[in-house]
Amino acid sequence: MSALLCRLMVAALMLIGLQAPAAAQQTGGVNLIVSLQPGAKEVAAGGSIPVAFVMKPKPSWHGYWKNPGDAGSEATIAWTLPEGVSVGELRYPVPERLIVSGIMNYVYEHDYALLADLKVAANVAPGTRLPLKAKLDYLACTKEICVPESAEVSAEIVAGPAGSAAVKDARFDAFEAAMPKPLGVEGRFVVENGRVRIGVPLPASVTVADPYFFPLDYGSLDHGAVQTVTRDGDLLIIETKAGANGGGLTGIPGLLKIGDGQGLLLTAKPGPVPAAGKPIGAGAEAGAGAGVILAALAGAIIGGLLLNIMPCVFPILSLKALSLAKAGGDEGSARREALAYTAGVVLVCLALGGALLGLRAGGAMVGWAFQLQDPRVILVLLLLVTAISLNLAGLFELPTMGGGSKLAGTGGAQGAFWTGALAAFVATPCTGPFMGAALGAALVLPTAAALAIFAGLGLGLALPFLLLGFVPALRRRLPKPGAWMDRLRRILSIPMFLTALGLAWILGRQAGVDAMALGLAAALLLALSLWWVGVRQGRPRAWLPLVPALAAGLAAILIVPLEAPAVAKAQGVLNSEPFSETKLAALRGEQRPVFVYFTADWCITCKVNEKGVLSRTDVAQAFKDRNVAVLAGDWTRGDAAIGRFLAQHGRSGVPLYLYYAPGQEAKILPQILTVGDLTTLKT
Amino acid sequence: MKHLFPIVAALAIAAPAIAAPQIGSQAPNFRLTDMNGKPVTLGQFRGKLVVLEWNNPDCPFVKKHYGSGNMQKTQAAARKDGVVWLTINSSAPGKQGHINGAQAKNIVAAVKSQPSAYLLDHDGVVGKTYDAKTTPHMYIVNKAGKLVYAGGIDDKPTPNPADINGARNHVLAALAELKAGKPVSVATSRPYGCNVKYKDS
Repeated sequence: MSALLCRLMVAALMLIGLQAPAAAQQTGGVNLIVSLQPGAKEVAAGGSIPVAFVMKPKPSWHGYWKNPGDAGSEATIAWTLPEGVSVGELRYPVPERLIVSGIMNYVYEHDYALLADLKVAANVAPGTRLPLKAKLDYLACTKEICVPESAEVSAEIVAGPAGSAAVKDARFDAFEAAMPKPLGVEGRFVVENGRVRIGVPLPASVTVADPYFFPLDYGSLDHGAVQTVTRDGDLLIIETKAGANGGGLTGIPGLLKIGDGQGLLLTAKPGPVPAAGKPIGAGAEAGAGAGVILAALAGAIIGGLLLNIMPCVFPILSLKALSLAKAGGDEGSARREALAYTAGVVLVCLALGGALLGLRAGGAMVGWAFQLQDPRVILVLLLLVTAISLNLAGLFELPTMGGGSKLAGTGGAQGAFWTGALAAFVATPCTGPFMGAALGAALVLPTAAALAIFAGLGLGLALPFLLLGFVPALRRRLPKPGAWMDRLRRILSIPMFLTALGLAWILGRQAGVDAMALGLAAALLLALSLWWVGVRQGRPRAWLPLVPALAAGLAAILIVPLEAPAVAKAQGVLNSEPFSETKLAALRGEQRPVFVYFTADWCITCKVNEKGVLSRTDVAQAFKDRNVAVLAGDWTRGDAAIGRFLAQHGRSGVPLYLYYAPGQEAKILPQILTVGDLTTLKT
Repeated sequence: MKHLFPIVAALAIAAPAIAAPQIGSQAPNFRLTDMNGKPVTLGQFRGKLVVLEWNNPDCPFVKKHYGSGNMQKTQAAARKDGVVWLTINSSAPGKQGHINGAQAKNIVAAVKSQPSAYLLDHDGVVGKTYDAKTTPHMYIVNKAGKLVYAGGIDDKPTPNPADINGARNHVLAALAELKAGKPVSVATSRPYGCNVKYKDS
């Protein structure tokens, strides 16, 4: 629950931050309202604070990122500042993609804040009033129109005595959290045949959702082109079309988005990048390649075989088989018909698969990704598998489709072809459970494996008939359709129920026990509704009871926590405690030596140090011998307090390793740690 | 079994992307109707330099260059040297800047624009063929029919008319280089402006 709570709090903070009346501060703009908010009222001479341009677009309006994409424009700013005050570049939060009639825009469609860091010179007398004025020119757009707006905003701060702590505005925690973090290491890129491949060092352990590389410069990448993101161990690889200046690039600066509002700033330099690694999603877990494709194919053929004994397919098959048996002697035509039937089945299955992959490509283009790491996807799968299980168990029936049988009635090879197409297509509702499974797999698997599944499904479905055509003896051994088929169907619901159980477990692992309970509750509600549907079956509007269940399911998808509560995450190394400045002060007060390290899941240098040095037993022993306390700060989500602490120590990102000998100030240890650095610390 | 999880999908099919013509390659021919209802093709101007200007009269970036007289000045300088200037409007019906021939005549007269022709590309086919992304988005086709420039009108990508002074007008610069028999030094630049208001795909 705490993750959800945390998210709510951040949202609330943001809301308060953006709603608070700006005392003595003007706002500007019409469709995108701007106000200037300093991070503190009083700033120490020689100190610095962030100031925020709080941007509030009206509903359906958006503002632009620094690189606006294929259209739009970045904001420009003209400051009027008193003597002794200087200001840095604008910092932009992690943007979103917006495609308008096929044209890519990098935008913010919600309230956001641009930050600038303001410095007050050391010679400014305390008590001096420092009026800040800025003219911001920016573009506000909807999907239809754009309006250039200009806002003249102002705020006032007061210089405080040197060394006085700047009073930080709590709203800035949310502003800072929305900013991209410096990755700290360079990426590499190659340009080949008009395609760019960028390799970003990123620990294999960090999960990414809907990754996208936002180029900062125009012309390096084609903004509108699809980005294929794969992973190869500790390297994330982005491949896409090169931009207009793709030829002579010396560096590609950009922002890698790895999750909702989570971004990493880096520059890729020319260098070797391996060809695509493992696709993100299911393939990444199982290891894509021939193995997965073969397994998928085998599974699909078995699934296709099972389809034959579904109550609505088997009669078609047995009828056709009977006619074959009657035809008797002519082996040649029996084989021709068998092959035509197979062709019909496989083609229809492949057509279904192709249509689905087209949809998937379209989805990827607008930023939809289907990943098993996303709890929302798991929840959808859980509900669907539950419904399929209940259908197999006989709780309710899917309506059957009519038509198409006229074509199938034609004799000869053509008739056989259409019978095959009919078996595969017209009977879809009753083959639904297996088709659904194949559709789901196709959404998360690489294209080749997905197509293999559909082909396999078709082949499996056609296999019995194919055998009948080529082995006449089998025709007499065909079982009769009957009650046994229903019994078998019931039995098949058991593996489906087990699958649902497994999904619930995955959901729990990913997003905590609350999410699992939420998912199970949604599944229960769905089951009750389907039960009701089953009872009403045959009556008009029998499906009505599903409406509330689907609404509840949708609500569950919207509120399911996206990650497990922090406590469930792996403990840091060296028995560390979470970092806080008060904790640090308390430990130093006790005259204990303190080792502080700052890390982030996406920081490869951090992970290398943690694995190779911090988790070694000799380091642990050395720390134990000296009674060194260890504090760990996790900056994965951009905690603002940690961000400020890093800045105080001259760092804009992680890793940072500090050692406080008793009674002494911090000693900054190297970013690439060695065992010797830690075993020789003085106390 | 883990990979056989189903998902219900209801996705939109995105329109297939067409590769944009590259600098140095043949500029795709097209046939459009101008504001007077007359057909105009690119091919009929073979042997002349041709400037293509994507236009949406309601776009603030277009207004920046017409309101300040910058676009007209560029047009006049080009046409004085015998360059053909084709203004193309790809705004789809119901979208910003969509106009018919009569409205186009009024607008052209009102802003004192002097294109060789003002062409209506309501279905956006020509715009998509050239991968025109913004208004304005400028192209230059040389006498041999090859594309020699694609990009912005200048190098100050803002909607502010005050930025025209001091900006490098890429079109005038390229035309001057072509006139002098030199290759175009800046053959691509960032096109900037409003996105072209194509019909929803």
